[in-house]
Formats: sequence, C-alpha cells, structure tokens
Amino acid sequence: MFKRNATCLIFTTLLLFSRICYGQESNYSIYKNDNTEQLEEFRNSNTTSEVESSSSTVITASEDGSFPEGIQEPPLDPSITIQEGLSYPFREKLYVKPLPNNDLLTSFQFKMNSEEFAPSISSLNYGQYNHFTVFPKAIESVLHRTDTRQLHLRFTRGFWDAETWGRLPHDGFKSGGNGVELWAIIEAESKDNAYSKWKTLANSLSGLFCASINFIDSSKTTYPVTSFQPDNDQGLPVFANSKNQLYLIRAALANEPICTENLTPFLKLLPTKGKSGISTFLDGHKVFDSSWHSLSVDVITNCDVNQDKCKYETDAVVDMVTHVPYSLARNKNPIPKPLPAEQLRCDTNKPYDAFQCFPLPESTETEFDLSQIFGKTIKGSSMMSDIPSHICAIITSKWDVSIKVNGELFGTDDNCFELDGMDEYDLYLASSDTSDVTTLNEEVPLHVSRSLTGYGQDHGGLRTVFQNPTPMPITAIYFESLPWYMRLYLSSLKLESIDSSNLQLEDVIDSVYYNSAIDHKRPSHLEYTITIPANTTLAISCQFDKALLHFADYPPDANHGFEIESAVITVIKPFKYQIRTETLLLSLSTPDFSMPYNVIIITSTVIGLIYGTLYNLLVKKVVRVEQADKLIEQQAGLKKKLVAVVLKLKSKVVDRIKQKKVINFYI
Amino acid sequence: MGLLERVQRVIVSRGLIPKIMAQLPKISIIFVAISILMIAILPMDGQYRNTYISENALMPSQAYSYFRETEWNIVRGYRNELVHMENSTSRERNQIMESWLNEFGVKTQIYENRDNEVLYGVFHAPRGDGTEAIVLAVPWFNVDGEFNTNGAAVGVALARYFSRWPVWSKNIIVVFSENPDSALRSWVEAYYTSLDLTGGSIEAAIVLDSPGENDYFDYLEVYYDGLNGELPNLDLVNIGIYIAEHEGMRVSLHGTPFDQIKENNYWTRLKILVASIQSSAFSGLTKTHGNEAFSGWRIQSITLKTKGNSGPLDITCFGRVPEAMFRSINNLLEKFHQSFFFYLLLAPRQFVSISSYLPSAVILSVAFVIAFMDSYINNPSFALPFFSNYTLIPAIVWTVTLVACFILAQLFLILPIPSLLLLINIVISISSIIIQNKKLFKPAVSNRLRSFAFLHLSLILTSLLMVNFPLSFMIGLMAFPMTKVRSITANTAPQIKLENIILLMISNPFIALIIYNNVSSNSGLQGLQGLRVINRLISAWKDMRCWTWFVLCLGWLPSWIMVAISVIENEREPTSHDVKKNE
Repeated sequence: MFKRNATCLIFTTLLLFSRICYGQESNYSIYKNDNTEQLEEFRNSNTTSEVESSSSTVITASEDGSFPEGIQEPPLDPSITIQEGLSYPFREKLYVKPLPNNDLLTSFQFKMNSEEFAPSISSLNYGQYNHFTVFPKAIESVLHRTDTRQLHLRFTRGFWDAETWGRLPHDGFKSGGNGVELWAIIEAESKDNAYSKWKTLANSLSGLFCASINFIDSSKTTYPVTSFQPDNDQGLPVFANSKNQLYLIRAALANEPICTENLTPFLKLLPTKGKSGISTFLDGHKVFDSSWHSLSVDVITNCDVNQDKCKYETDAVVDMVTHVPYSLARNKNPIPKPLPAEQLRCDTNKPYDAFQCFPLPESTETEFDLSQIFGKTIKGSSMMSDIPSHICAIITSKWDVSIKVNGELFGTDDNCFELDGMDEYDLYLASSDTSDVTTLNEEVPLHVSRSLTGYGQDHGGLRTVFQNPTPMPITAIYFESLPWYMRLYLSSLKLESIDSSNLQLEDVIDSVYYNSAIDHKRPSHLEYTITIPANTTLAISCQFDKALLHFADYPPDANHGFEIESAVITVIKPFKYQIRTETLLLSLSTPDFSMPYNVIIITSTVIGLIYGTLYNLLVKKVVRVEQADKLIEQQAGLKKKLVAVVLKLKSKVVDRIKQKKVINFYI
Repeated sequence: MGLLERVQRVIVSRGLIPKIMAQLPKISIIFVAISILMIAILPMDGQYRNTYISENALMPSQAYSYFRETEWNIVRGYRNELVHMENSTSRERNQIMESWLNEFGVKTQIYENRDNEVLYGVFHAPRGDGTEAIVLAVPWFNVDGEFNTNGAAVGVALARYFSRWPVWSKNIIVVFSENPDSALRSWVEAYYTSLDLTGGSIEAAIVLDSPGENDYFDYLEVYYDGLNGELPNLDLVNIGIYIAEHEGMRVSLHGTPFDQIKENNYWTRLKILVASIQSSAFSGLTKTHGNEAFSGWRIQSITLKTKGNSGPLDITCFGRVPEAMFRSINNLLEKFHQSFFFYLLLAPRQFVSISSYLPSAVILSVAFVIAFMDSYINNPSFALPFFSNYTLIPAIVWTVTLVACFILAQLFLILPIPSLLLLINIVISISSIIIQNKKLFKPAVSNRLRSFAFLHLSLILTSLLMVNFPLSFMIGLMAFPMTKVRSITANTAPQIKLENIILLMISNPFIALIIYNNVSSNSGLQGLQGLRVINRLISAWKDMRCWTWFVLCLGWLPSWIMVAISVIENEREPTSHDVKKNE
C-alpha cells in the first residue's frame, strides 16, 4: 500500500511537472483574462490545448466562491459566458435500470474525442501542434510515448449476480474481472520492443490512476491469440514505418482493491471534472458502497486511411449496482441496527405478536430520488459538449420516472431527459411492483463458474462449470492466464458432463492454444474454443501442481494466499457477449519464516559435534584404559620435573632481565 | 570432555552397564512412569500458560453486536415454523428453508449425497473479492439425535441478519445438513471436488448446536477437536471463548458439568487435560459434534452447543457469539496462522503448548526402544550373528504380518463384523495354548521377533507423535503390557503362559479399546456400548477419513501379532554347541 502511494505520488508530481513544462502558459493566461473572444480565438487557433482550457472556466467559477451552494445561484460569473455554438466532442449519458430484488443499475457513460491529427507527422516537430480539446492530454502523452493504438483499462469489484440481474451492462465488454485488467495494442518493431513499451505504459497508467498497475511484469503478461481482438482492423494503421507490427498485450491484477483513489483520477480525465453534468453524482463513498461496480476506460485510435487523418476516441464508463432499500436505510441510520418492533414487516398469517415475527420479504413498492442514493443532485449540464447530458430510465409500465428540475417534476414519454440548463437536476423513481423489470426478458447466454478443488498443499485442480441455459448451442472462447507457480497438466484436461449426456472433450473443444509457463518469466496461457450444446451443463477440470517458491518470492502477507485472475469467456456465436469468472485464492505451502534461524543453529551444532569427534579421532591415539592411566601417572611425574626446571629457568631469566634493565637505566 | 570421561570411567569401573542391561525391563517401566508424570505435572501452576489472542486483527468483541432486540422476534418467528418440521422429510425441510434463504438473496443449492440431502447457500459479500468464505453450519439433528430447533432458527435468522450488513469481506455460506458427521463431511468433501455453486476457500466454520425450543439456556459448551490430531488454530477457540465470556456465558470444555465450571484448581485442570487427550485421541470414534467434519483443507472450526434450559441467557445471546466471531474472522487478511495449531486446553483460558507435552510421548516411545533392547540383548541368543536366519525369519514374519494386517484392514472395511474381528484376535492371543508341541520357532527367532515388534511400534509411535500426540500417547500406554510377555518353552510354568495370555489380551488394539470404552466412565466414547466402537472405527474412516483404523491395523496390530506368535512354544534354548556350529 505504501509503495503504491509512493509511486502514485511520484507520478502525479511528474505529470504536474510535465504539464507546466509543455507550454501551458498560453492556456493559463487565457482563463485568467476570462475573455470569451480570446477563448474563441484559442479554440480556432492550432495552439496546444488541454482539457482544462474549456472546463477550467467552470472550475474557476465554482472555486471563486461566487456561489456557495452549487449552482442554485446564477450559475456563472457574468463575465464568463459560453459562446453560442461553442461545443466540443464530449457526450455523457446516464442510464438507470431497475433490476430484480430491488437492485438498481446505474451506468454513467462519457465519450471524449480528440481533434483530428495527421499520424505521419510527429508532434515533436516544432511548429506542429496537436489540438485535443476535451480529450485528456495525460492519456495522449502516454499513448504517444508508447505508440499505443488501443488502450483498455478495467477496474471492477463485486459479484455480478447473472442469475438474478441478467446480462452484464454493455454485454460484458465494459467490465473486467475482480481487480484491475489492462490490455493494449502497441505498435513496435519487435516483441521485445513492444514489451518494453507495454511496461512503460503500465508504469505511466499506474501513476495516472493511482493503482498498482506497475506490478505488471512479464510473469503476468500474455499476448492473447483469439480473445480481446479489436473489432475492426481498419482503424489500426501502423504509424511509423511498414516494418512495425501491432501487438496485443494483456495483463490483470486479480483482487486489486479498487477505491476512491482510482475514481478521483478517473473523474479528472473528464472535462467536467465531476463538477457539473452527470458526473456530479460520482462520489467515492457511494460508488464503492455498491454491490458491484466497474470503472472502464477505452481509448481507440480511429483513422481515415484515405485522408491520413486520425483521432483518439475515449469511452469512459462507470457501472454500478446498488441495493436500493439498504441504500435508503443507510441514509437514516448508517448501522443496520435491529428495527424497532413497529417497523418490522411480519407475516400476519403466521403467529405474530410483540415477541414473535416471521419476516416478510422486502416490500415491492418503492419511491425514491436518485439523489438519495448518490447523496448529491446533478449540478447543471455539461455545457461545453455538442449534445446536452442525457439521462434515461429503462423501465417497465409498473414504474414511474420523472425528472426534478429545481424541485419541480417533469415527465417524458420515452423516459429520457436532456439536461440543457444550469439547473439542479434529480431523478424521481417510483414503482408499485419493483419485481417487474426489463431484464426479465434478457437471456444470459452462458453462466460460468470456476473453483479450486483438491486437498493439500502440493497439488490441486481447477474446475470450470459452463451452463448454457439457452435453447441453442453457444460457442465461446475461453481465455485463461495462470501464474507460473500453478504447474498445469494439460493432459489432465477432462470433461465431466453433469447432465449425463455422454459428451467427450473432443465434442466440445474445437481448438486449443497453450503456451506453457516459464518460472518467474511467463504465465501459462490457455485459450480454447468451446461449444456448449443447448440447455447443457458441463464441467471442465484440469490438475496442477503447486510449485515451491523461493523465499524471496513470497509477498509480505504470504499467509493470505495467491490471487489467481479470472478467466475470460467471450461468446462469439450466436451473438457477442463477454463474461469473467470469479477470481481465486491459491494457498501455497508457506514456510515458517523464522525456521531458517533454527536450521542454522541446529546445523552448526551438528557440524561442530561431527568436527570435534573427527578431529579427536584423527589426532589422538587410542589406548586402553590401563595404558591411559599409566601414561597419566608418568606424565604427572614428568610434569613435576618439568615444572621445577621451568621455574628454575624462569627465575634465572628474570634476574638477568632485571639486571639488564638496571644497567640500561643507568646508561 | 574430561568430566564425561570421568563419569564413563566410574560407570565402567563399577560395572554399571551390565547391571543396567539386566534392569532394562524395570527401566522401561520407569520411563512409562516418567512419561505419565510429565503429563501429570502440566496442570501445576507455572507449567501452563494463559491463553491470549495472538492475531491482532481479530479484535474479538470490539464491535458492538446488534443481534438482539427485535432480532429475537425474528428468531422466534422462524422457530414457530421449525418446531413442526421435526417429523417432515429432509427434502420438505430443505425446500422450506431454501425458500426462506432465497428471500434475502442467498444463492442456494441442494447437494445430494449417498444417503441424504444437504442444503447450502452462499451469500456473496458485496465488498469482498469472493475468494474466501466463512461457514455457518447447522445440522438438522445434533449428535444425540435431537432436533436442532433453536440452532436452525438462530442459523437462518443470523443469515438474514448478516445479509443486511455491508461489512463482509468474505462470502458467507450457510449449510443445513441432516447430521453433524457423515452428511456434513460429505458436503465439505464435495465442496472441494464437485459442487457447482462455490464461494471460495473456506477459512473458518462455526457449527451451531442448540436443540429444543427454549428461549433460555444455562451455559455454552465448546467442541474443538479435529480428526487425525488436527486442531483448529488456538486463536479461533480463543475468540469463541472470549466472546462467549464477554456475553456473560460460562464456557464448559469436554463436558464439564455446570457446577464445576467455576472451579479452577489442579484437579479440575488435570481432569480437562486428560479428557482433551482422550477425546482428541478418539475423535471421529466418539460423538462428532460437527466441527470434526471440517477437519483438513486448512479450515478452522468449532462447535457451539447450548446446555440447560433454565438459565439467564437468551437465545439471541447465543446468536451473538457466532455473530461476533464472524466479525472477527472477517477482519483477517491472512489465514489463521499466528497462534498454536498443537495445544492442550486445561481450562477455557489456560493451555499448554506442544513443547511442554511432546517430551512425554517421546519418552513413552523410548520405553519401547528399551523393550526392544531388552528382548534383543538379555538372552543367550544375543551372541548369535545378526546376519543369519535368526534375523531373516523375523523379518519375513514382519513383512507377512504387515501385508496380512493390511488385507485384514481392507476386508473389514467391506465387511464390518466386529465379533469376527474380536474372535480372530482372541484366537491369536490364546494361540500359545492351541498350538502346542509344534516347536514353531527357535528361541532366538522368537526373541528377535519380539524385538522387531517393539521396534516397529516404537517407530510408529515416534512418527505419529508429531502429528497426533494424543493417539500416540494412548496407544503407547495401552500397548505397553505386551512388552512384559515372556518366551515359553516346553518346561515353562503354566502360570507364565496364563500371564502371557492376559497381557496379550489387554494389549490387543481392539480388545483394549472395547475394554477401555466399556469400563472408563470418562472416555468420551459414551454411548458406544459393547462392540459398537469397532463399527464406529470403520465408519469413521469411510465417512470422515479418520485414520485411526489404519493406525491400529498397521501400527499396533502387526507388532501385537508378532509378539503373540513369539510366545508360541519354542524349541529348546540354543546351547553353546549350536552357537559354535553356526559360526
């Protein structure tokens, strides 16, 4: 954690520094003058720009303190007005979708495009400036430095309950497994070159998003073969020279905690900075209090080959699922204390009095404002975008939705609302039957769950259950990257058909790609195409050995276990859909780290004893007890004589020396 | 070295070595006495330690427990429905419980094992990573066959209560099994092999046992012995006891009656110490309270059982113990590893660690080494060369016996007939009367056969004592009489023959176990009258993977059989003429 904060700090400092260095003066001078003409001029000119340029007008206004409570007062300083027709390629949308069991899915979507630029001309050339307006410059500089053509970043946490909630938002293409996931398409001369650029990319993003992405190294990196392929290859030109190739590289950090320190940099990428528009809802306390949440950033380079023009397109998405009753209850009392007796919902058909109560399920009637869930209201629209902010509720006829503008309710036919002023907005939702939701008709093509099996610390198994609930066969690509200390036996890949349909492994698995692990260097990389027959459940299991690690390979919390990232399943037929399994916790045998000291002590003692005995055997003569006794007696006689002689000699010598000393003294 | 040499001189000059050699049988008895004495001094002041929470993250009872007030109404509400369910089939019961669990968002599945069904549900922690889980297990019927009404009501009410809390970092799994042993064990095994709905690796399990439908109880009993000498980490036992005492409960270990819980003196501590050695040695054979089912897979588990029905403690108070324990375990980032895995409890808050009690088992196994030396050295055949038929024959007999015992162990797993097993053992022990004048072995062979037997047992005990001290200690004590059997020849007094038979009888693994079980009042094996303990030994292996059956069959039984064979009437003693001829 400490290390992570430290890197975060270093990188933010660096970024700050770089921002100041890269000719931002013009920018700052503009907004200090607060002159719209200059702003317009600035937009038209081809000088370096940044996201701040347009949005900073809003920020300075709010930070000036001219209006204390949001935007209830006249929104902006009269000197700052927005030029008619001034708009940037920024779009934001909020979808609200009730789910079964009183859960609510909210999906915030932001699109930011850069201005067009010519890929053949290096932006380092003097006189060449790129204009990005709403596109985050921090990202641009990273993309440019590492020759990244596509960048996909996921921060996800929680359990998506597909059985109840149905399909994942965006068909799963905007959410990752538990933790952080990153993949990119990088242009490079060789694989090694691509890897070093990838490493730079990971380190930069680590600083940018305050996450431990810098822990991605070659032992976590894979080069997917069939999964994660970009949608269309046309938009991916090679910029530098035709010798260069594009490399698809991916890594994931399982169970990396996701928290406010990741959301704040995320909001900073938006031109509105979370100060106006729908992003005002995004408060770390509420986002991370949800049952499931996912932040994603996708940047793609879209090029028009004929005109030699390219632009970056960014999709930033925040999806989250909230359990509405708990969220509302938490507003009243943060601790879910026992309810007072009169508030208990009891089944009156069963014995029921002041002492007993058979609880009823949650009420299916509801009425709430979105601000009760997010703790805030929407402050105005995103005024610089070419299309106003959008809010849509995806509901059935049992639901009512209306927008609250400065406290007044308005409704529309299609349940979609445009925020076109600088007012205070809120969404009001009510239902007489919350179980009636739109997701009920949605069909989830595949349920996949994965678990570790086995007993003991030396080997184990990996079991993946595929359940196809649909009446048609499903074809999917299974992608798995396992750390090197899980020594997979591909030969033990086995199919267990649960529905007793005599399926064989060959019947379901079409093609297998396997790249075995190298200790400390490369993970095992397994991809296969699998076809699951209609209405079938089957399990595929595989055995592995647990490697013994070097003592320095253990993390500081060695007794926690080792995180195994989720497998990624991409459904390709009959339609596209992506799911990820749960992450796993692998327990390896953990040494008692104080043991080396005991071992050293015992070994030294044993060696000492052996040495002593050996030495004695080699040096000493073996005699019988009687002989030994005789010898000792003789020695005693000799000794006495010797001692007497020595004493005599000694006294003589001492006398001599004394005399000499006396003489010397006199001389 | 000078001092050592002097001591050695004195020993040599006084001729102590032959004297000591002559006294080996007595010395082995002295060693056994020392071993018992070493256990007996453990409960003395200064020999044991007070328990403490070693893992700081646990913080037991540091958060306020809210399973109180109207939660009691809900427990009662569920209980009103549960009381009618005792006689309904397991499927009906599980279906109703499943519908209750589904109401508050727990994903459920029913696991069908050989004999019955186990219902379990996973509550996915909203903020956790879903890789670890804590289990709340409720057997429908407890170890005594009583319907676990209060336990099930508290279990489902707790699960409902837990689902409202956003604090969980680990998934919560609730398990309703038909019984606390085979059904629960089969579920745990299936969880790690073939279940489709899983919630990550299980860190800890708490089994609730509270039969009856009373609102009140007197005190709490905590069971913690695992199978095969495994114990839960001392930290888990400690937080259970700390929390229970924090809630104002008295905690009893190993069936200490209510009126004796308060006392804490040498004798009470000794009593609990002996009881914990016994119950750990025979765990799996004795009453299984449920926590044994989770033994292995690095799962720490304990059983909480309410006793009495008049006391001042109410049933939500009982629920607050697992609640606070769940909160504590939820705090853990690492697995339980800080505290002791090998310990003996003397009182709820007093224990001795492995370093204090292990030497006594070592000394016991040394007693067998001395017996081996005695049977090898102290007879005329010592002068015979080691590499000769006199050693080869015992070695062959040892191999054959081991194989025979293994076959026997496997056969009885298929056909568990205790009376047949008993008959075989009795026949072997009186074989010295049945087989007469056959002159089976030479006396030298017979002596070496016995040395092999003692050496075998000593090795088994030494290797076992690290893993399962109580079992090693109990086997050592119970098998010791067989070191006292003497060789017989045609002119041996019938008195000695009889003595031999008695010694062999009482040191036979199965006969000793049956006698011990039926005689001892506090053996922890109550309720297994007659020969049922043998059935239990076999079913413990089959249902629970408890190795005691194989330890007895492959450790103790072969060496006993070899001793029994060695006392079958011998040929005459070898004379010096024979010795010369051989040389």
